[in-house]
Amino acid sequence: MIRLYGEKRANLVRVFAARLRSVAEAEDLVQDLFLKVQALGELEVEGDGSALLFRMANNLMLDRLRSQARAGARDENWRGLQTTTLGDQPVADAPSAEDVVAGRQRLDVMMATLETLPTQVAQAFTLHKLDGLSHAETAVAMGVSRSAIEKYVSAALKALMAKLP
Amino acid sequence: MTRSQTDIEVAIDWLVLLQGDSVTEDDWRAFDAWLTASSAHAVAYDQAQAFDQRLDLDARRVDRAPAVAPVAATVSTNLVALRPTRRVWLWSAGSAIAAALVAGLVLLPGSGLLGGRETRYVAGVGERRTIVLEDGTRIELNAASRLTVRFERNARHVRMDDAQAFFDVAKDARRPFLIEAGDTQVRVVGTRFDVRHRDGQVAVAVQRGLVEVRPASAAPIRLRAGQGLSHVEGQDDARVAVVPVDEVTGWRQGRLIYRDRPLSEIVGDLNRLFPRPVKLADARAADMRLSGVLIVDEQDAMVGRLSHLLPVRTTTTNDAIVIRAR
Repeated sequence: MIRLYGEKRANLVRVFAARLRSVAEAEDLVQDLFLKVQALGELEVEGDGSALLFRMANNLMLDRLRSQARAGARDENWRGLQTTTLGDQPVADAPSAEDVVAGRQRLDVMMATLETLPTQVAQAFTLHKLDGLSHAETAVAMGVSRSAIEKYVSAALKALMAKLP
Repeated sequence: MTRSQTDIEVAIDWLVLLQGDSVTEDDWRAFDAWLTASSAHAVAYDQAQAFDQRLDLDARRVDRAPAVAPVAATVSTNLVALRPTRRVWLWSAGSAIAAALVAGLVLLPGSGLLGGRETRYVAGVGERRTIVLEDGTRIELNAASRLTVRFERNARHVRMDDAQAFFDVAKDARRPFLIEAGDTQVRVVGTRFDVRHRDGQVAVAVQRGLVEVRPASAAPIRLRAGQGLSHVEGQDDARVAVVPVDEVTGWRQGRLIYRDRPLSEIVGDLNRLFPRPVKLADARAADMRLSGVLIVDEQDAMVGRLSHLLPVRTTTTNDAIVIRAR
């Protein structure tokens, strides 16, 4: 199991980074998983050991999400991004005028690109990315299936990735 | 996911699928198989993920007004305006990029000690230069690198000081191409490979052909395409392994690709790209390990992405960026 963990570690981080929207949290989770795997010792696993690893990691993730007020933690992360501490003083990370211009240009490209896309694609992307709805919530809001939302978000990302640096 | 799609498009499909609300074991198995099928897949996926995180960062700074209530029943009938009034809080810097674009290949022809002409090539911080030598050999010099070239009748010599370079050596069986990187000698006839000589360590990765490396006093080691060697200066041994050469040479395409590397090394690379120094405040941060792709663009943006990939906090002042463990 430990060997298998070693082989699958990087891929597990990728999956859970997407699930948790944070590579750091995924790294943390997969590190926790290691402790569980270690506890299993030299146990030989019947069947697909890699599926077991995934299930264990998934359970760990669900445990974590249950035990923390997720939205609160996210807000905290967000505050952490906007402010930094200099010495012990929290300092607002105010962007310079030049930086704001560069940022606005980037955002303008994003918005302009969205406008060239089919309405549903742009709407799904806006609801999901900018308003932070989950796929399921976006699906309910737009009255379409979740797989349709995934298709729309995918299409928007591809278009944006082609346009933005 | 059809064949006509590029890796990056398939990677985006995967990313979106995995961000969905229910991911099954079958999804995981299929994703794992896709990643394992080619190292290019993992690179594409990591790129898509980095891009997506950047977008999330941008999106968070869009203060959309009025805020849309979650799952508002009216949304489906009332299309969300694409250009609402908004405040923008982006700080991606444009200033550092200018530094990355200043050219400056310094040529200092000097008189070689052994008769041959000696030419010194320097790429400064943030510069990347391609040199074509008189025999047709191409050398791509990474940022903050220095090397000296000396051609003689019987051999072609390169001495690498603190440097990383990718070599495409023109074939000349009568004049072997010899590289000296610290205490390590690399010998080739004609081939493509990368040599990194930094911080007392030498790493060679071979893309095509055969390369002979002699670390310090050890016996010469022959590397084939796809193999790499790493060696700590002053030691008698070296490690040979199969290496993802495309990843090692990612810097040629403006991508820094790391597999389980310490943050101290990544900061070292950043400091070769930008004049404003990045400093590590504590050992805990220095020892953090990163796997992922960093796209080389602007310093602030790169450091911002780092703080997304690792539990660190950054403080920016006029003359430095300080990274500390969160």
